Amino acid sequence: MTSVIRGAAAFIVLAGAAFLMGEYHNDVYRKLLLWVALALGYNFLFGICGQVAFSHFAFYGIGAYSIVILLFQLHLPFPLAVACGIALCILFALAVAIPSTRLEGFYLALATLALGQLFIVVLNEGGAITGGTGGIANYRLPQFFGLNLRGPWYTAVIALLVVGTYAVLVRLDHSWFGRACRAVRDNPEAAAAMGVDVARTKVIAFTLTSALAGIAGMVYAFVDNTVNPPIFSIDNAFLLLFMVIVGGAGRHAGAVIGAALLFLLPFWLSPIVGHHQALVFGVLVVAAILLAPHGLIGIFDRLARR
Amino acid sequence: MQDFFELAVGAAASGCVYGLIGLGYLLVLRPTGIINFAVGEWAMLGAFGGFVLLTQYEWPYPLGMAAALAATFLIGWTTERVVVRPLVAKSAPLLAPILALLGMVVVYRETISAIFPPDPMPVPYAFGMGRLEFGAIGGTYQSCFIIGVTLAVFIGVWLFFERTVAGKAFEAVSLHRRAAALMGINLSRVTALSFGAGAVVAGLGGLLVAPNTSAHYLMGVPLAIQGFTALVIGGVGRVEGALLGGLLLALAEQLTVRYAPIPSGYAQGMPLVLLMIFLLLRPTGLLRARA
Amino acid sequence: MKLAAMLAAALFATAAQAQDSIKIGVITDRVGVSKPYAEPATEGIIFGASELNKKGGVLGRKIELLIEDDQSKPDVSAALARKLIDQGAVFILSVSLSPATQQQQTVTMEAKTPQMTPMNSADYLTTQLDNPYFWQTGPLGSVQIATLLAHAKTKNLKRVALITDNSELGQAINKAFRAGLEKSGIQIVEEEVVSNGSTTATPQMQKIRGANPEALFVAGVVTATNVLIFKSYRELGLKFPIHASYNLSVPIYQTVAKGLVNGITFVDAYDPDKPEVKAFEAAYRKETGHAPANLHGYGYDGIMLVAEAIKKAGAVDKGKIRAAMQSITYAGVMGAKGMKYSFAPGKRTGFDPNGMVVRVYEGDRQGRVIYVGQK
Repeated sequence: MTSVIRGAAAFIVLAGAAFLMGEYHNDVYRKLLLWVALALGYNFLFGICGQVAFSHFAFYGIGAYSIVILLFQLHLPFPLAVACGIALCILFALAVAIPSTRLEGFYLALATLALGQLFIVVLNEGGAITGGTGGIANYRLPQFFGLNLRGPWYTAVIALLVVGTYAVLVRLDHSWFGRACRAVRDNPEAAAAMGVDVARTKVIAFTLTSALAGIAGMVYAFVDNTVNPPIFSIDNAFLLLFMVIVGGAGRHAGAVIGAALLFLLPFWLSPIVGHHQALVFGVLVVAAILLAPHGLIGIFDRLARR
Repeated sequence: MQDFFELAVGAAASGCVYGLIGLGYLLVLRPTGIINFAVGEWAMLGAFGGFVLLTQYEWPYPLGMAAALAATFLIGWTTERVVVRPLVAKSAPLLAPILALLGMVVVYRETISAIFPPDPMPVPYAFGMGRLEFGAIGGTYQSCFIIGVTLAVFIGVWLFFERTVAGKAFEAVSLHRRAAALMGINLSRVTALSFGAGAVVAGLGGLLVAPNTSAHYLMGVPLAIQGFTALVIGGVGRVEGALLGGLLLALAEQLTVRYAPIPSGYAQGMPLVLLMIFLLLRPTGLLRARA
Repeated sequence: MKLAAMLAAALFATAAQAQDSIKIGVITDRVGVSKPYAEPATEGIIFGASELNKKGGVLGRKIELLIEDDQSKPDVSAALARKLIDQGAVFILSVSLSPATQQQQTVTMEAKTPQMTPMNSADYLTTQLDNPYFWQTGPLGSVQIATLLAHAKTKNLKRVALITDNSELGQAINKAFRAGLEKSGIQIVEEEVVSNGSTTATPQMQKIRGANPEALFVAGVVTATNVLIFKSYRELGLKFPIHASYNLSVPIYQTVAKGLVNGITFVDAYDPDKPEVKAFEAAYRKETGHAPANLHGYGYDGIMLVAEAIKKAGAVDKGKIRAAMQSITYAGVMGAKGMKYSFAPGKRTGFDPNGMVVRVYEGDRQGRVIYVGQK
């Protein structure tokens, strides 16, 4: 019960903040929340289950594009479009996850990297369906029960997504599934010996987190009401990895901190160092890894322990 | 058929460049277990070294090449000391230096981007733009140069690992770090040298390919991916694997574009498909390590 | 380059102190894939603004440029558009990636803030969204091919090959080229794509050679990849003429493609003989110490158009500026001799379809204009 209350309180705080900000800050905040949602999911996949994958952003893109295509080109009713979109994500995830159970460590990383790049190629060559290189614009979120969800109200929706994602992942983490994932991450043979179905655990973890990324993508589609290939480019997959590492892999709070810090850093750096903000960003990331190889959350732990 | 012969030498040259990048990975990977994705940026540094010394200052080619490679060696060595050694000393998980090096990709690229204009920069050919013909097969001077230099490098590296005591030390470190340390092998020196050597080899690849592709700040990542694919195909067990993988990758790429009856927009996906097939069916690569 | 920035900083430090400066937002790319185009365009904007301010500004008020870097990331771009609007920008100039400009539009449309791209050439920017506050004065891909074709028509081409790269703009220009060629009844016997990051374009050029075209149209916009194409062309000893996109107008070809570009015809929006161009080049050289490239001219024209619109509107009011811009006529640096920017009622592309020129490389230098317009 207390967790529900805490969840509701978190939602109220996160959503309420949106109403106190101007348009620009709302926009940044919305995108920040989406990155946090993605980082939480990726943290579960990478930090807790130990799977190095670069396909997370591709699923973000699959979710975004599919909701737009299903709603505005195939004109499906909204609930059906959402369901189909999620189903598509699950299907693609399974198609990637099941063969990947035979692959370890960096081999999975490369295969998912290849997938991410192929996704962009498909988007660009997609002609009328995907809008090709220019993507799709000129659509609006449909009304729900006569309500127009705009501006801070839509931010509230994203806040709901974040809180929901966090709740699901934390719940999973503390369950037997979470323990199985950690066991698979640390020592697959020992896990198998203890009766954990290693392949199935990996597939479920991958599919679940990819589906969550897809849902986040569906929410993203209505933030700027545009989807195009550069948004889902492969560089973002690396940024996501950095966020989780810098924050502290395996810890939900770490994912939140890492995502918030690395997303906002360019905005803070730009006015100060202008031209060279990417260089400073790179140096800071390297420094963060050097000084805190277990993530910034490790520093908080040490401070908290004192 | 004539097209095939025409392509052969050029594709072999491309394959040699991929092989050099793959070797750049390998020289670091073997003793340390670290996959260094910054090799692409090292290649870019070699290319820009060539631009500065050979194009801007017009040094004679051998001198410019040597100086550029010396500079890349220094950069590789310094990177190891500054970015990798502190992490190893702290017993950080293996992933940490790999990610730190990924961060260095950004640092290298942005440093070049800050110093040089964003346009592609010319790097001169070693012997100009002529062609050598051997009957049906022919290639540009540069292609022949690339193949020759790459063979020399690979033979040299192979001899180093197989025939010299220092090379055996490298092998020992890659097989078992602690045992090697107990045997008196200086781990940090081996690691530093491996980074330096990896940088030289990658920088050489960049310098050799840049006369065709130009030196520009975004050239690192595609090379890094191609080099890694070459390594996966060839296998990390043996040095020759990188070269074999590179040659196969280049041939597959170019022959697919030339002969496959699919639109070339999709042919560009071919290396990715090849990579995924290899990962699924033969993740250890074509050449097995010697027992 | 840096000098212009320092000059700008000095000028705007003083301008910013003036309470009633006119704020113009600029969204550019300083670190990403658009940098080769965006950086010179931004310098052109800075130079133009400094010139305007030296003459007393617009409507008696100084121009203050608010420059943001979107790293060629479209969603950052949209956020920055909002930031500029919140900071009081009355006009936004977009010189980054086309999809980024597109994504900014969703913001400017909602916020009813005038926005213009003086450089992007993607055709979809004015067609996908019906945004009355957005204008595009860059030369469209469709105009490029129409101009190239008008020149090529004098050669009676029937069978040609088409080649491009796999960047998003390269694909967009390729689409426009393909449509233009097909509309003219010219058969495309071979169409190829070279991936950015390739080490060679020889397989693609071999296929083109096998199809025996009368000419090759290059729609690619990535310089390094185009250089690969030209290298293979020379290696294979090919002889058919090459007609290229406006990317060939970038001056770097004169150094990075030595010996490779002689005789290539390309479409450009810059006529070095035009009096406005000569004046622009002289003034720029005097201020910064080095010569501008044609890319600077796009930015320069952009800020000048904005200033014209504000002057015409008579007030710093977004609605009035919008109306003024829609009805403007202005002769700028870019475009053929005598070309004026103007917007037909209801249309938001301002570059005169007859305003591009075809130039030819003479040796390694960008040579004379050999054809003007589409007629």
